[in-house]
Amino acid sequence: MQARFLAGVIGDAADAEALIVDDDQVGARKRLDIYRHNYHASLTGVLTDHFARLFAYLGDEQFGRVARAYVAAHRSTTRNLRDYGHEFASFLGHSFPEDSELAELAALDWALRGAFDAADVALLDAARVGALGDGWIDRPLSLHPSARLLNFSYNSAAIWSALDAGREPPPVAELAGPVRLLVWRRGQQPSFRSLTAEEAAALDGLAAGCSFVDLSARAIEACGEAVAMAVVAEWLGTWLADGILVIAD
Amino acid sequence: MTCTKNRKTLASPGFGLGLRPDHYRDFLDEPQPVEWLEIISENFMVPGGKPLAMLDAIRADYPMVMHGVSLSIGSAEPIDMDYLCQLKALAQRVEPLWVSDHLCWTGINAHNSHDLLPLPYDAPTLDCVIDNISRVQDYLGRRILIENPSSYVAFRASDRREWEFLAEMADRADCLLLLDINNIYVSARNHGFHPHDYLVGLPAARIQQIHLAGHSDMGDYVIDTHDADVCDAVWELYADACGLFGPVATMIERDDDIPPLPALLAELDRARAVAARMCEPYYV
Repeated sequence: MQARFLAGVIGDAADAEALIVDDDQVGARKRLDIYRHNYHASLTGVLTDHFARLFAYLGDEQFGRVARAYVAAHRSTTRNLRDYGHEFASFLGHSFPEDSELAELAALDWALRGAFDAADVALLDAARVGALGDGWIDRPLSLHPSARLLNFSYNSAAIWSALDAGREPPPVAELAGPVRLLVWRRGQQPSFRSLTAEEAAALDGLAAGCSFVDLSARAIEACGEAVAMAVVAEWLGTWLADGILVIAD
Repeated sequence: MTCTKNRKTLASPGFGLGLRPDHYRDFLDEPQPVEWLEIISENFMVPGGKPLAMLDAIRADYPMVMHGVSLSIGSAEPIDMDYLCQLKALAQRVEPLWVSDHLCWTGINAHNSHDLLPLPYDAPTLDCVIDNISRVQDYLGRRILIENPSSYVAFRASDRREWEFLAEMADRADCLLLLDINNIYVSARNHGFHPHDYLVGLPAARIQQIHLAGHSDMGDYVIDTHDADVCDAVWELYADACGLFGPVATMIERDDDIPPLPALLAELDRARAVAARMCEPYYV
């Protein structure tokens, strides 16, 4: 019975009407339509919340069309609505290959949303480094659970920032080369910034569990001790202040 | 006045509100005149970040109750133990006065409607719901509250009234009830029963909490939208309930088009006044 009813709510199966009492006041179809409307409104509504800057970029009508197509193709399999929409960016990438900024904006919205309520863990910050002395430098490190590294080929980050500030977004432009973006939560505030290729590679290494000693050795091998020490020291200062690092073991 | 001897409930802690992000600042900045707050459990079943930080900060100053929307107590499938485990962890964090969810199901075959879907009121469904409540109560180590739903369809398979189903469910599962007065009004309009019949058919000794909310009147039917003030007809029904059940913990439940806190506090004051007038015989 429940499978038939749900098929009527999600998939418009007329079969579900046979389960319920018909009447002259409202009618079985219209009564079921209330649940159909609720289902689609709650899922498209949560997409609007989760992808707020993409919504601002596309506008109500266009976003609504795209969101309805996604909902039709992706039944919710999550118990908590907060998890619905994780394939929206790839759906946009496949559906609109000529408009790559859409998938990038969605990926940024989704990563920021995930950072918002990612797990709280003990950070490696300046105070903890001070307390540990050298006791942390050869231990495996990791990135804070909120951290995500995104690959962008278009100026989607600038478009996102303009929309966030309520400004007219710049025209879409392909970047000279791919850029990597770090998304994380600073305190309670989701944030992002672009990375140099070298810093992105360093963060990839840390995400994979390498230690500060390993990282320094790689940097020395790449660009010599004098340059490497200055660069790594600058990165470390930023990472500690931003709350990106945790000790993994 | 209905007999409320042998109450299974905690004494009423008074009047509360649903805690919503729009009002976090109000509760953090200064004491507000509410005796307790209700949280939507799923909003805090998250790994971390601001939601849990706000929860802990506000919980330090207010008793709380937990109200869920995803337990799916009427599901034909087994209870989702991952969900229940998360619910128990949240309850250990919040230490709520009580935990509630709805008489409904939300999905099947790994597909979720994210809606409170209605059940047929028949013997097999009753057995299923009672079995599920018992499992949940055993796992959580406490009685839970089940809320009467609002509904837009009635199943051909139903062979009893909703209040009869609730009364037998509460007795056999040894659970408590969260009475949503607006839901009674909405379903009464949608299905053509008299709301007073509903109230008098309920076991007064098991009613732990009352919800008051607004709805959207579509003429031929009514939708439970929680986006408007409590209407006069629901206030009258609340007075009726107070006369029948005596002092019961009552709150305003607003989920959409949320007004500034003072507007909800004013509605809550109206609830206090109605209850004070109607519950006087219980204090004699």
